[in-house]
Amino acid sequence: MEQMMKILEEIRPDVDFANERKLIDDHVLDSFDIISIVQEFNEAFDIEIDVEDLEPDNFNTVEAMKELIDRLRNAD
Amino acid sequence: MTIVSLPFFLFTAAVVLVYYAVPKKIRWTVLLAGSSIFYALNSGWLALVLAGTSLLTFVMGWAVQKVLDASRADLKAAEGLSREEKKKRKEAARKKARALMLTGVLADLAALLFLKYFNFFGSNLNRLLSALGTGGRIPALNLLLPLGISFYTLQAMAYLIDVYRGKTAADRNPAKFMLFMSFFPQIVQGPIPRHSQLAHQLYEGHDFDYQRLCFGAQLMLWGIFKKIVIAERLSGPVQALFAADSAVTGPAVFLGACLYGLQVYTDFSGGMDIVRGVAQMLGIELELNFTQPYFASSVEDFWRRWHITMGAWMRDYIFYPLSLSKAFTNLSRKSRKVFGAFVGKRLPAFLAMFIVYFLVGLWHGADWKYIVYGVWNGVFITSGILLENAYAKARGLCGIDEGTVTWRAFRILRTFAIVSFGRYFSRADSLGHAMDLFRRTFIHWRDLSFLTDGTLLKWGLNTANWVLLAVCVLILFYVDARHEKGISFRRTIAAQALPFRWLIYIGAVLALLIFGCYGPEYSAASFIYERF
Repeated sequence: MEQMMKILEEIRPDVDFANERKLIDDHVLDSFDIISIVQEFNEAFDIEIDVEDLEPDNFNTVEAMKELIDRLRNAD
Repeated sequence: MTIVSLPFFLFTAAVVLVYYAVPKKIRWTVLLAGSSIFYALNSGWLALVLAGTSLLTFVMGWAVQKVLDASRADLKAAEGLSREEKKKRKEAARKKARALMLTGVLADLAALLFLKYFNFFGSNLNRLLSALGTGGRIPALNLLLPLGISFYTLQAMAYLIDVYRGKTAADRNPAKFMLFMSFFPQIVQGPIPRHSQLAHQLYEGHDFDYQRLCFGAQLMLWGIFKKIVIAERLSGPVQALFAADSAVTGPAVFLGACLYGLQVYTDFSGGMDIVRGVAQMLGIELELNFTQPYFASSVEDFWRRWHITMGAWMRDYIFYPLSLSKAFTNLSRKSRKVFGAFVGKRLPAFLAMFIVYFLVGLWHGADWKYIVYGVWNGVFITSGILLENAYAKARGLCGIDEGTVTWRAFRILRTFAIVSFGRYFSRADSLGHAMDLFRRTFIHWRDLSFLTDGTLLKWGLNTANWVLLAVCVLILFYVDARHEKGISFRRTIAAQALPFRWLIYIGAVLALLIFGCYGPEYSAASFIYERF
């Protein structure tokens, strides 16, 4: 979680990731941010986030992103 | 039958009436019959092209679903298999489903490319061949475009990809799928729907709801106002200012682009309001296509608010897959070594964004001017992101407080200017004409005499019409500003007492009849986006 927050805050230092509940639905993150986040997560956690995983539900909150990472790590 | 015409309003009333009169279970058949009649009346035998695309997409979607279902059942039955073996089988099935999906997508695309772009590619290839001194010419074909082909092709492709991605289940009833592909108000110019969002709404019968009916009718009225009172009134000045033989110079040319921007906005978003209004009367909620684009604070923000369903399509089916593709990821790794981490990390997304805006331009029409129009927007978006840190530093050095109203107003006006200059490309007759418009803008660039010397009156509108136009634009601005704050006018009207509500309705209809610009038989001209 700590490493994840570090990555997110590096990409968007202006966003309160801990408390935002609708990062995608409220357009807090744009498509460029999503691509940066996916690239960083893939490298840091050795996973492969696919286009099919780019659902608002997977990126609206930090918890949802963690769940996605955990799911992909367990699938490998 | 344009969607702003008396026959269309009568047709809609008849469909709504029959829809609620028949049993709930078969209401979708009324929509299918209505959609088929509407399309056949508008396109004649070209309806066969839509039918062909729909049938092909239906079959391919069904085939993709069958492979995926069989794979799931196979994996469920084979419990004793090792993890690796399961993965192998799953991947083999995905590969097969992917091949089927791609075949369908390419076949859908081929119909669009042939009908819309054959002559464009042919003439460019001919030019290239003659430059190389080689013989052989590709003949120009007299091809007719089926109504809404640019919209329904994207819809069909999205459907197949979504079935493959597991985001929607393939339709099993070809008649129902035909309805999804041809829903009558939306087929003309979108919004481009997703199967998971629209199909179930079309297939299930909706209960009659008086308030929803009123809301739908109000939205239609607002759309008609935008189209026939503002957009149609603007066509005279826009035509005059963009005429090939026009010798207008200075800020008047830029005014022409601003007026054209306003015309496209009121024409397209007005059309969307009518389409969404008709759907609402039938209990169907279509996606929003505009959220006050002229309140955008950057070009990127503008495209988030303008033709939203098209932007979302490009994001989900072009931008994301390209940015995350293996080729782009490798490019990112290599470019980090050359350009450093900041640029290297962003390069794939920039490149993908450029391709997206190139395609957005090409989607608008088979002409280089549209491609440059797309690239123009792409340049501002990518440079805005690339230079983000430099801009932030510059703002800091100038002591600019980003929270102030003046800074926000400046950003809105700057975005408006960039977008309006981009209109030179989309409205000009050709790329050469657009460049000439730029040249003419900066000749006598301080000359504002056209505002007072009577030149304005030579552009197809008299003083009364200019004043009326200005008042209507102010009303539009006021309504958009309220929407920007999340205030719903329809709910405000619904809260009024019955006599006042009807007074508002009657007043609105009278205003449309008196101030609208009509053609023969109270029909408005066709929509700008219908041609794309």
